[in-house]
Amino acid sequence: MDIVESKENAVFVMEPKGRLDSANARNFEERVLAALEKGENALLIDFDKLDYISSAGLRVLLMGAKRLQQSGGTIVLCALSPSIHEVFEISGFLTIFTVHSDRAAALAAMG
Amino acid sequence: MDEDCVEISMTNDVQEIASLAARIDEFCESRGIGPMIANAVNVSLDELLTNTIDYGYDDEGLHQIGIVLSRQADKLVVEIDDDSRAFDPSGSPPEVDLDAPLEDRPIGGLGLFLVHELMDSVDYRRTDGRNVVTLKKHLID
Repeated sequence: MDIVESKENAVFVMEPKGRLDSANARNFEERVLAALEKGENALLIDFDKLDYISSAGLRVLLMGAKRLQQSGGTIVLCALSPSIHEVFEISGFLTIFTVHSDRAAALAAMG
Repeated sequence: MDEDCVEISMTNDVQEIASLAARIDEFCESRGIGPMIANAVNVSLDELLTNTIDYGYDDEGLHQIGIVLSRQADKLVVEIDDDSRAFDPSGSPPEVDLDAPLEDRPIGGLGLFLVHELMDSVDYRRTDGRNVVTLKKHLID
């Protein structure tokens, strides 16, 4: 899985592409942990290029959110496709995560 | 009337789930079954297959897993057949407290819950040393 990382002012943006499933969730987890270890405390995960997420991917997001909550940081998501949105809704993740329609809206709210 | 179905065979390797998903997307797309239903089937299969592959076998050997997708009048039926240890995923999974605040949400435990939420029914039988799980999803996108 390809993950494009960038920095927008104080916000660290991660854009995973394609599928986030049990076969590559560990890779995603390592990248999230690496960002946190570098001291990033405002994370935006942009789902615009993500086609699919399984519970293995949800697990990594929950782990990241818990860590950031403990350190006083924030995690924000944006651009969920309708099918990914459904999985988030069923999982109760829409009440845990702040979700914006696209990257511009998310960055404006985080700024 | 012949059933509209396709049989897919894979081995116990989670890396094969992506190509299985591509076959399912193609099956659904070519029959006008919407992406929400295709995704629900893919998430459910992913959870069940990952469980089986990670925890179901007593050896390190190669095992075949069969998947049959069939389009019936008003539903999509998916049958998964494997020779792993007996495991029945049809019972209600532990409740997930969806309103719990972040600090109280356990990490993990969502997989089977998602399968039961996304599918209309989950059935199981053990036949000749094999697990056969049948998932049904009504075709209302």
